[in-house]
Amino acid sequence: MATISINNLARAIYESSSGKEGADLDLIVKNTVKLLSEKHMIGKSKELLDRLEKLVDKGDDLVRAKISSKTKLEKKTIEEIEEFIKKRYKIKNSVLVFETDEKLIGGIKIEVGDEIIDMTLQNKIHKLKNYLITN
Amino acid sequence: MTKNHIVENLRKQIEKWKDEAELEKVGHVIEVFDGIAKISGLYDIKASEMVSFPNGEIGVTLNLEEDSIGVIILGDFSKIREGDVVKATGQILSVPVANAQIGRVLNALGVPIDGKGAIKAEKNNPIEKVAPGVITREGVNQAVQTGIKAIDALIPIGRGQRELIIGDRQTGKTAIAIDAILNQKGQDMICVYVSIGQKDSKLRKLQTRLEEGGAMDYTVIVSAGSSESAALSYIAPYTGVSIAEFFMDQGKDVLIIYDDLSKHAVAYREISLLLRRPPGREAFPGDVFYLHSRLLERACRRNKEYGDGSITALPIIETQSGDLSAYIPTNVISITDGQIFLETDLFYKGIRPAVNVGFSVSRVGSNAQIKAMKKVSGTLKLDLAQFRELEAFAQFGSDLDESTKNQLERGKRAVEVLKQPQYAPFATEDQVVVLYALTKGYMDDVSIDQIKSFEEGLIEYASKNAKTFYKEITKDKMWTDAGEEELKKVIGEFKSGFTKN
Repeated sequence: MATISINNLARAIYESSSGKEGADLDLIVKNTVKLLSEKHMIGKSKELLDRLEKLVDKGDDLVRAKISSKTKLEKKTIEEIEEFIKKRYKIKNSVLVFETDEKLIGGIKIEVGDEIIDMTLQNKIHKLKNYLITN
Repeated sequence: MTKNHIVENLRKQIEKWKDEAELEKVGHVIEVFDGIAKISGLYDIKASEMVSFPNGEIGVTLNLEEDSIGVIILGDFSKIREGDVVKATGQILSVPVANAQIGRVLNALGVPIDGKGAIKAEKNNPIEKVAPGVITREGVNQAVQTGIKAIDALIPIGRGQRELIIGDRQTGKTAIAIDAILNQKGQDMICVYVSIGQKDSKLRKLQTRLEEGGAMDYTVIVSAGSSESAALSYIAPYTGVSIAEFFMDQGKDVLIIYDDLSKHAVAYREISLLLRRPPGREAFPGDVFYLHSRLLERACRRNKEYGDGSITALPIIETQSGDLSAYIPTNVISITDGQIFLETDLFYKGIRPAVNVGFSVSRVGSNAQIKAMKKVSGTLKLDLAQFRELEAFAQFGSDLDESTKNQLERGKRAVEVLKQPQYAPFATEDQVVVLYALTKGYMDDVSIDQIKSFEEGLIEYASKNAKTFYKEITKDKMWTDAGEEELKKVIGEFKSGFTKN
């Protein structure tokens, strides 16, 4: 038998649980845990959860973004960023997580999934350094 | 340079620099071990794309799996940690190429390691490239002169050919390669020597030897030492051939030596096993044939319409106690256009280069041989083969008829003539003279221990006195009747003088 990939499993769980509530959902959760223990995949539950979260987000038309800056951002800037993300990923909802980091010196960094838009001074200095070395 | 000048220069450079916010694809390191990293994320990355790690190390994607990618790390992997951010560069692995690389020693990434300063790249060539197609090619018709009599006469190599040098350890495989490089002086050839998994001391010795012989003026050395990771050994030959292609694209002829491909296969096996690809025969992965065939197929002779130029490849394979039927030797034998087989027994008998003439072949080289050489060496191979057979047979009894005896004596002299010390390449014209004297029977009554001095004397005498013959060979690649008469006379004269002394 072919090995079950995390991706397949996550999709199966998502499809069987979506739109269900109450006792039905309880049963599915119970069965899922049973299946995981039978297939010896409990150890992979963290990856499975990550994958499941992505599927749920996709279903909800939602994007999670992490925004890092040196200091706390103003409300107006945040709104602009949110607008930009919604436009870029063509989605309706977004969840923004904010983080401050002294090392960034200035500017902001937006992380969405495996994409990064790095507009921090730290990155600019780094790029300038590379440019001067190679030229 | 004054301080102000430096500041001024920097200011200009900085002003030229433009920064644009750009989208970067990133992933995270899940695990790192033995030069391999597993990375999550980077969903739409290409195969053999470069990725960069936080401390500047470069990796290449080899395995693209459903939820992770396998990357080989080119360089130091000890500083890479779990969770590190990995950026995709969007570029297929490529190496810098430049004319200034001639005379330099580079590592597998094309970075100079000889301490003579940086090289400004003229171009970046991808290390993997599809070999030139049928339409762009031409038959092999021009010789590579190695300066080794046994090879130039019996196993000729043409420009664009792939000739394998195979033999046990310590049989003089590298020596043949070095002699071939040394003899390319003034032959309009650029040499690339790729050292894979060799001791650094050996490489240093080789480099010094090439410098002494003035060969570094037209040679590039690419080295992935045995202290470096398997990933670098794996890419080194491809780097070498990419550099060679850069010169070929300028219409030049290039000679590339891979020393040696057995270590390359071992490095690739290591990587494959670490990446959990299924092992096959001798634990090599399934695509080890393709590994070498796609490399050697890039050697070619291109026709005039497609820019001319050629790459001649001399891969080296080390066998274990003469076992030609092991996996890698059979693979590479079947890929190449012939092989030069070196034997331990011959080596210790004092026959050096220890070429086994029976097992060695050149499938396309005879078209590249010059006419004169073809004429003198035509019967030599057969003579030697017959001699070998008779030699074994003659050990049983001494009752031999005259013609058999003559054949034996001729064979012994042929073996003696084909012996040649290291770093003493022979010019083609000299080879023709010596082999002419041998095959026409002029040496039959010279005693065997005097053959070497006869040979040396003859070349010196003939080069002075048989000027027409020499001129014809260098110019028209063949002698005329007049030239032959002159040579016959000269050999006769020399011989009578030689026997008197």
